[in-house]
Amino acid sequence: MEEQDFINDLKAGKQFAYAKLIDLFQQKVFATCISFVPNKEDAEDIAQDVFLEVFKSIHKFKGNSKLSTWIYRIATNKSLEFIRKKSTKKRFAFLQSLTGNDFEIDKTNYFTEINHPGIVLEQKETSETLFLAINQLPEAQRIVFTLNKIDDKSYKEISEITNKSISSIESLLFRAKKNLQITLEHFYKNEK
Amino acid sequence: MKANNNIQQKIENTFKATEAIKQVPVSPFFKDKTMQHLFPQKEEEKVVWSWFSPKLQLATLVCLVLLNILAFTKWKETKYDENVNLFAETYGLTTSSSTSLLN
Repeated sequence: MEEQDFINDLKAGKQFAYAKLIDLFQQKVFATCISFVPNKEDAEDIAQDVFLEVFKSIHKFKGNSKLSTWIYRIATNKSLEFIRKKSTKKRFAFLQSLTGNDFEIDKTNYFTEINHPGIVLEQKETSETLFLAINQLPEAQRIVFTLNKIDDKSYKEISEITNKSISSIESLLFRAKKNLQITLEHFYKNEK
Repeated sequence: MKANNNIQQKIENTFKATEAIKQVPVSPFFKDKTMQHLFPQKEEEKVVWSWFSPKLQLATLVCLVLLNILAFTKWKETKYDENVNLFAETYGLTTSSSTSLLN
């Protein structure tokens, strides 16, 4: 009932409700965004965009899921949209890389510019490789792996965000790990 | 064999990199910036200009234009009469100047 009142205040566009919403969710939304986009400034811009989207689309929220789940879904979609836009800009470089090995990690893409304060310097190169490899995964696997391994969300939370069953989350995570193993194997073999 | 082990070790280390990522706190200005985007200067605008509705703006504009036209035509008329009088006086064409003392 309390959440419904809060949602009604959001729908009415009340300023205090949005102040409360940001207080409650800013850290979690930002954490989800920086898990997909490992750059602090970009992740903050995306997080801001998430709250703007909530403001614009709250009237479409029917209450079929929890408000938090709906917000994390927007955060995930906005982050993927951002990566897609960045990737399109570098399409020319990507087309050039297509002539090479199929498993070669595309070093020209956005994830070569990591600026993640949570990654220690010694791990920076390893993390860059991991983020590049994650972004070679099919979208569904990428979402599940990122939300579980980087954003630290439980299977239940991921299943609610993605509207998939827990067993399919497990299966996607298993396939993601397998594909990452293959990609990284080829990367380290070619590195020499 | 040794090279394969080495590669496997590197892969495992790469997977472990996810565990080493620390939580990053959001900027302390994030809330203010977002609130400003959501409610851009709404309050100030409301207090200062809310009474000045588009209808009133149009009416003010029409009044100003009419006033300008009126002032301009008045000024032109006065100027014209003055010029004619001055011309008439200069060349002795006024009725007052035609009355001679000799008559």
